[in-house]
Amino acid sequence: MKIKFRKRHLFLVLAFSSAIIAAMNSGVDSIAGDLMNNYWVLSISCFILGFIVSLLFSCLLSIPIKGKSIGSQTFDPSFNRIRLITKQEIAYHALAGLGNSIMTIGYFALFYDPNLGRSPAAILPFAQVVILYLVVAESITEKDTPTLVEIQSALIVTFGAILGSISLSGTISVRALAIVFLIINPGSMLFSFYQRKLKMIKIKDKPNDSINIRLWNVVFALIFTCIITFCWSLYDGTNYLFGGLTASINYFGWLFIMATGTFFSFVFYIRALGIGKASIAQAVKSTVIIFSIPVTIVLSYYGYVDPFTTDPTLLIIKAIGMILMILGIISFTVTLAKSYVFIKVKPGYSIEDTMQKLWKIKGVNRVCAVAGPYDFVVKIHTRTFVKGYERIIRKIAELPSIKEYKMQSVLKEWENI
Amino acid sequence: MISAYILLNMKPGNNEKAIAEMRKIEDIAKISIVTGEYDIVVRAQVESLEKLLAVTDKIQMIKGVNKTTTQVIEKEITS
Repeated sequence: MKIKFRKRHLFLVLAFSSAIIAAMNSGVDSIAGDLMNNYWVLSISCFILGFIVSLLFSCLLSIPIKGKSIGSQTFDPSFNRIRLITKQEIAYHALAGLGNSIMTIGYFALFYDPNLGRSPAAILPFAQVVILYLVVAESITEKDTPTLVEIQSALIVTFGAILGSISLSGTISVRALAIVFLIINPGSMLFSFYQRKLKMIKIKDKPNDSINIRLWNVVFALIFTCIITFCWSLYDGTNYLFGGLTASINYFGWLFIMATGTFFSFVFYIRALGIGKASIAQAVKSTVIIFSIPVTIVLSYYGYVDPFTTDPTLLIIKAIGMILMILGIISFTVTLAKSYVFIKVKPGYSIEDTMQKLWKIKGVNRVCAVAGPYDFVVKIHTRTFVKGYERIIRKIAELPSIKEYKMQSVLKEWENI
Repeated sequence: MISAYILLNMKPGNNEKAIAEMRKIEDIAKISIVTGEYDIVVRAQVESLEKLLAVTDKIQMIKGVNKTTTQVIEKEITS
């Protein structure tokens, strides 16, 4: 029997779980980074093990028990078994894989920045600036203009991330910022954006599952990382491809743990992407910065990273950064208003034509032509009820074919996810 | 697969218990408490019209449900 959940609750649980696993994983990344001395080698070996682990877990989760796969009973109800990708998915997987590859190479390049000292608490905040990129991308492609609240929240999270990322010596590295803004975040945006597109695709009338999406993302990311590394090796005159292969054998244990953590962190993240907007999922996942602090303290205790700062000024700045991020995340997640609009159409007007006109209105999330007392049920998503009325309802009312409409605001919602 | 919206009018004070009952019905994909003329909007996803009838029947048997209005979806556009 399926039980319905509050969508927002499941979304938050998934995104926070992903952040906690990612924070723990960042500690293992630091150790692996300490063992290898080159980010190309680290990236290649990480994706080789990522592929092996993803394949292994996808096969294990495909085993059926009482007619349903383990994966569908535990991690994602949409998962049936491991499968080949469809034609419709290829382009999205290629772009998401390219994004993952670029983002990972950039992320590992930061590990070898002398100002950051391979500390997760200093490196992870940088990557959170991607929220700004996602808000812009969503406003262009998802026919949803960002509201003032969204822009404010994105900026608050970004400034919080920048303050939180001040290195232990109190400096900000220009090289690191260039890598963040020009490599990691564009890559991360591609990755998040197309993974969400993949999650929204229906496969045989069922939502696409996060386990197959993750497996195939790693396959494409491995291919792109090999191509990019090979091109760099030709320019550089080195052989990082072979280095990556041998490193994945020599440091199999640490890389296996790292790949396992990454697999589950992304399975949760992709499921969260299927529920909420990419920018909001990313905002919640930004709490990885907070969870990375205890990880950094443990690593510094064992001597893997520089000692955690005790300078009160730096600690206050970092604390302000964290508080700003949390405030930004809360305002991002709690201000979504949904409404149903029930519409009757005047005789003599085409239903199909009206449907297309309704769909073109920004903020309209779903249009259903229905049989019954009404002709359409329209679902709208806005940041405030005032904006919903001003921007959406007024435009619906202006359509000449509309005879009558009723707006009903959603107070609470449960859903099978 | 057939999808439908079922719009419910409730007797005052019965929403919480009725929703707890509805959350157990397998073919219901979404339940929303709303303000306005209706009290609850339910989205059902079923394999046939016969099963849709079974769902509306189950809903009407729940204590506190005053009236149901079913809207079968003929075509849908979603993001």
